[in-house]
Amino acid sequence: MSALFRTLRDGHGFDATLALLALAYLLVFSAFPLIYNILMSFQEVDMFSLASLVRPFVGLANYKSLFASPDFWPVIWNTVVFVGLCIIFQLGIGFGLALFFQQDFPGGSFLRGLFLAAWIMPALVAGAVWKWIFAGDFGVLNYLLQSAGLINDKVFWLSNPQISLYSVVIANIWLGIPFNMILLSVGLVGIPKDMYEAAALDGANAWQRFWHMTLPMMRSTIGAVVSLGIIFTLQQFDLFASLTQGGPANASNVAQYWSWQLSFQIYDIASGSAVSCLMLGFVIVVAVIYVRSTRHEHRA
Amino acid sequence: MSKTAMLLAGAIGLLGSTVLASAEDVTLDVWTIDRESDPGYMYVMAQEFQKLHPEIKFNIKHVEFADWANDITRAVATGTAPDVAYVDNPNTPFLSSKGALLDISPYLKDSKIVDTTKIFPGPLSTVTWDGKIYGLPRGSNTIALYYNKDMFKAAGLDPDKPPQTWDQLYDTAKKLTDPAKNVYGLAFSANANEEGTFQFLPWIQSTGGNFDKVNGEGAVQALELWQKIIDEKLASPDTLIRGQYDSFATFNAGNAAMAISGPWELPRMSKDAKFDVGVTLLPIQKEGDARASALGEGNNVIFAKSKHPKEAFMYLEYMYSQMPRVWNEFGFVPSYPVEVKDPKWPSEYAVFIESMKYARARGPSPDWAKISKAISTAIQQALTHQADAQTALNTAQTTIDGIVKK
Repeated sequence: MSALFRTLRDGHGFDATLALLALAYLLVFSAFPLIYNILMSFQEVDMFSLASLVRPFVGLANYKSLFASPDFWPVIWNTVVFVGLCIIFQLGIGFGLALFFQQDFPGGSFLRGLFLAAWIMPALVAGAVWKWIFAGDFGVLNYLLQSAGLINDKVFWLSNPQISLYSVVIANIWLGIPFNMILLSVGLVGIPKDMYEAAALDGANAWQRFWHMTLPMMRSTIGAVVSLGIIFTLQQFDLFASLTQGGPANASNVAQYWSWQLSFQIYDIASGSAVSCLMLGFVIVVAVIYVRSTRHEHRA
Repeated sequence: MSKTAMLLAGAIGLLGSTVLASAEDVTLDVWTIDRESDPGYMYVMAQEFQKLHPEIKFNIKHVEFADWANDITRAVATGTAPDVAYVDNPNTPFLSSKGALLDISPYLKDSKIVDTTKIFPGPLSTVTWDGKIYGLPRGSNTIALYYNKDMFKAAGLDPDKPPQTWDQLYDTAKKLTDPAKNVYGLAFSANANEEGTFQFLPWIQSTGGNFDKVNGEGAVQALELWQKIIDEKLASPDTLIRGQYDSFATFNAGNAAMAISGPWELPRMSKDAKFDVGVTLLPIQKEGDARASALGEGNNVIFAKSKHPKEAFMYLEYMYSQMPRVWNEFGFVPSYPVEVKDPKWPSEYAVFIESMKYARARGPSPDWAKISKAISTAIQQALTHQADAQTALNTAQTTIDGIVKK
């Protein structure tokens, strides 16, 4: 007994315990839900059979009915547009800001800290604020645009099916910029200053320094930021819940919100699981890219 | 090691003694969407009932309305369902058809307080499944047309003659819409969820349709009227993403001249609205058509696994017997005919009591959530012109047929 305690307190047992605890955590809170989710996507599930693992096996029927659904392709396309636009603008603006704050100027680091405010704010709160900004009849944005004489008629940012998805995109870009900026700033700090000095002495101009030095040196950071960005964007749920609920008429519905709607609004849990399995498959691909890009970092 | 064992044994002993001490007392687990702060129907009822029956204790849990179906079904699946709960009326058949609720018909036979034949047919149909009764309505509500009498007068309309037909509703909304003053003619909700269905279903029902027959001529014309109202901006385009609560706020603020909503708005309205308000029955297509209105609110039910069905039923009986108070204290319309002394908002009360006669349940169907989604999807498709009204409703009908006829 005491021998066991000794190895647990001091020795290989201690190391093993720590590793096992982490492993147990992963198994219980990550692996189990994932496998449970995959399992459900092949079964017939309703709210009352949620707790039992043994349920009628239906093969690919859930996926087939999903692909046959008239909502499927529009929702997938919306998801692609949402993720694509968010990543491009978050990365672009985030990179720009990171480079900007890289310059030394009074109050620079203070201002950079302020940008984090958006990141600290819970997405649900951000959603409530953006809802006021985007409101059709008495929204802040319409008021500003109308007083500036840019528009005559009110724009119904959230209830116009042609616009609503892009309104959520705008709100999410705002929400994601600080995260991108901070990670990219960290990457920029890691580039040795003397390299730039040497390049400047050799006559490289600012653009050449950016293109031939900053970008290649930042490759792994950008890879990581983009992968994490894709994962976070695919997780974005609160903004949809608070701004448009995927509407009107599914015009701003994306896979993550649709999955929730299927499972918890119409209790079609099997189809909801199937949607999240498809997303899972995509995220695994992204995660592999992320892992590879950080591995590259270690070698360098 | 032995120390731990002793401690453990002690703890078990302690636990056992507490169980013994409270053996004669009964504790009912109750779930509700009410809040403990004012008015909190379930909290008031439990407190009063406990005064009459000190041996019965309560453990009341508040659940958010949005999480309700999710939480309750999980509780049923894991065997941790409460003894008594409030259930929104369209969700009741979902639970009773799955055997989650206690069939209270045997208890009703001996009850001196409850006579189910007195309950209005709408609410009664929501607690009935397969000829058995699975709950008792705690009260009901329904929707009607509110209008701003001051705006009627200002526009030269007779404030005692509110619109009665669809055409009149359209004309009145058109006359009262004034973009320069930020006033829309009408406020309602065509949300992509239950609220949109709740508001639209009576329009279908008054023209002879129902939840399982949504693509009739009248239903199509109703949806086309909604389309026209949104297209011509007689109601805000945000109607598509706004629930009833937010829509009605624009009426209270004087930004809409008329609004479709229920009696639950009366307390807030009497605080916020600085104008004379009238209420009238929901307009019908043409004089002489059948009237219809949506049935809201819900039921008190007992779960099948309850260990104290007798006490739970006594509690249900008590709540049921308090029906004459629900209008004044909680803003529900009584679910069976009772005499309400000095009703608050007497003229509104008269309209809602009248409207209750025409209130029809949503469903009842154990798959209500899917049917509701099909209807609200059709509404949204038509209002955003992704499909014309007929096509959208045909699609909904196909979906609903697949659910109802399986």
